[in-house]
Amino acid sequence: MSIITAHNIHRRFGKGALEVHILKGIDIDIQAGEFVAIMGKSGAGKSTLMYQLSVLDEPSEGTVVIDGTDVSELREQDRTAFRLNTLGYIFQNYALVPDLSAEENVMLPLLMRGRGWLEARAAAENALASVGLGNKYKNLPAELSGGEQQRVAVARAIAGKPRIIFADEPTANLDSVSGQQIIDLLSDLHQQSKQTIVMVTHEPEYAAPCDRVLYMEDGLITKELSPSELQQL
Amino acid sequence: MRNLRIGLLLGFRQIQRASIWTTVLIIFVMTLTFLNLIAVSGVLVGLVEGAEQAVRENALGDIIISAQDDEDRILETNTVVQAITTYPEVVDYSVRYSGNAIAEANYKERRDLSGERDTASLIVQGIDPAREDSMSNLSHLLRDGSYLEADEEGYILLGAYYLKEYADDFGDIFDTIDAETGDTIRLTVGDVSKEFVIKGIIESKVDEVNLSAYIPEREFRRVFGRLDRNADQIVMRLADPAQNQAVAEHMRESSIGNYAKIQTYEESLPKFLIDIKNTMNVLGTFIGSIGIVVASITIFIIIFINAVSRRQQIGILKGIGIERKVIEIAYVAQAAFYALTGSLFGALLTYAVLIPYFAENPIQFPFSDGILVADPEGTFWRFLTLFIVTLIAGLIPAWLIARQNTLNSILGRK
Repeated sequence: MSIITAHNIHRRFGKGALEVHILKGIDIDIQAGEFVAIMGKSGAGKSTLMYQLSVLDEPSEGTVVIDGTDVSELREQDRTAFRLNTLGYIFQNYALVPDLSAEENVMLPLLMRGRGWLEARAAAENALASVGLGNKYKNLPAELSGGEQQRVAVARAIAGKPRIIFADEPTANLDSVSGQQIIDLLSDLHQQSKQTIVMVTHEPEYAAPCDRVLYMEDGLITKELSPSELQQL
Repeated sequence: MRNLRIGLLLGFRQIQRASIWTTVLIIFVMTLTFLNLIAVSGVLVGLVEGAEQAVRENALGDIIISAQDDEDRILETNTVVQAITTYPEVVDYSVRYSGNAIAEANYKERRDLSGERDTASLIVQGIDPAREDSMSNLSHLLRDGSYLEADEEGYILLGAYYLKEYADDFGDIFDTIDAETGDTIRLTVGDVSKEFVIKGIIESKVDEVNLSAYIPEREFRRVFGRLDRNADQIVMRLADPAQNQAVAEHMRESSIGNYAKIQTYEESLPKFLIDIKNTMNVLGTFIGSIGIVVASITIFIIIFINAVSRRQQIGILKGIGIERKVIEIAYVAQAAFYALTGSLFGALLTYAVLIPYFAENPIQFPFSDGILVADPEGTFWRFLTLFIVTLIAGLIPAWLIARQNTLNSILGRK
């Protein structure tokens, strides 16, 4: 069953002679429970595509249907609510609120969904424990290493049990050990709970656990990489 | 409610993690703004209020009885005084007789009889010295010499403005004589003249007092030929000055109303004094409002810089589904915190330090002992104005940043 269906996605920036055409008519279909990687060289349009799929940006042309909702039709406020209730995010720069503790960072979207303080805290502690940060609930982001901060971001993304998790180069700012830990976390999550995950990455080895690897060139998905093609990258 | 709760969490965590010195500085600015708003107008109004208090304390009291409009004096003064004494609210009163006289000094040393005489026109008050002192603290206003005794004769107290030595600073405004305590002056009323020794000099912030001469009432009646015993003014002090309206009303309805005009202190105030007071209030509010503008700009800049420097974070918050309102509430909560804390310190300083201090050590103005006036209701409305303006100053920059495109904010794009 499709959870993301995008048809003829175009994304242009600028106007007239200064217009830049980043996405040039992409069709994509992602099934529920799939772990999909999007790869490609810099400037291929990977992140731009992910922003369209994750309702952070609006395509210049084309439609995106997520979990049965045509998100192109949503107003700004509804898009925010849709992101809150349906999607989870892991950004490459961790994107934690520096003034909140690890626990509060994870609680934030849960509180926003209307959960009570105690309930949100219990869920946050569970999520943090599941990413191996059971003893660092009260730490501020600045008191955590880069790998630990990204694990808090993973905990925040999974705590609300979203339908889809989007990860935008989640290992980009991490050393190889921490990077692998994050990929292992996502992989375990996918295997254990059949969580749909869409991940943008540069590193072929991090794409290895994915069900499918889509390769982009010049604003188009040009091929789906087989495991052997992935190894050759 | 949910938005408010999360907004407050974000806002107060930002304050908690902010630099303590930055927070102290902002609160200091807000405290100064509050003081500017309250204290400046408070001192300006206090100037007039101080003058009013002095007049009430040293001259007019809480209720004033005077002659009816078509009469020269209070009719049946004895009956009126007896009626006054039946009021338990009245704790002090003084009966005053008043008349004009010519005072002449240095007449014994005058050699050139065709030359100018050292004279001045006086308003002479005939009083019961003990009652007057109890009522208006007249003995405490002595600049020099000593106070009148009840039954003594031939002594006079002179208001400072009648003496050259004290009135010189005012140029030729006042009609003065060149005399001092212990000198003998001659008082002339019509054909009657009598010599008096200056027993003391009275000086007050109240012009009416500085422009009066005081002699015992018995002597007054004799010199002025006032044998009917009808007085010109009766002033009284109440145990609770706030009751003066009710007591005056009751007196008007009683027999006293048949013989005299009864006014509360407030009713007796000349209109120009009320106008000055209102003008000072407006002036103080105007000066204070400049402080509000400065404070609102300060808060705007602080919140704007804060929000701009956290633009990416705001984008991410929106990205993960936090509503714009929550982010705006977070910044408004910070502005509210600064306004509340600053105002709290300002109010503490005003009511616990400044008002008691200026009550004890009034600012010395020529016409008034300047006090700091800050009535709680006025203070509340000024605080509310400051608070609302601060909230708006906090909301605008937060709104400007939070409404920006989510992805542009996340990526730091313009």
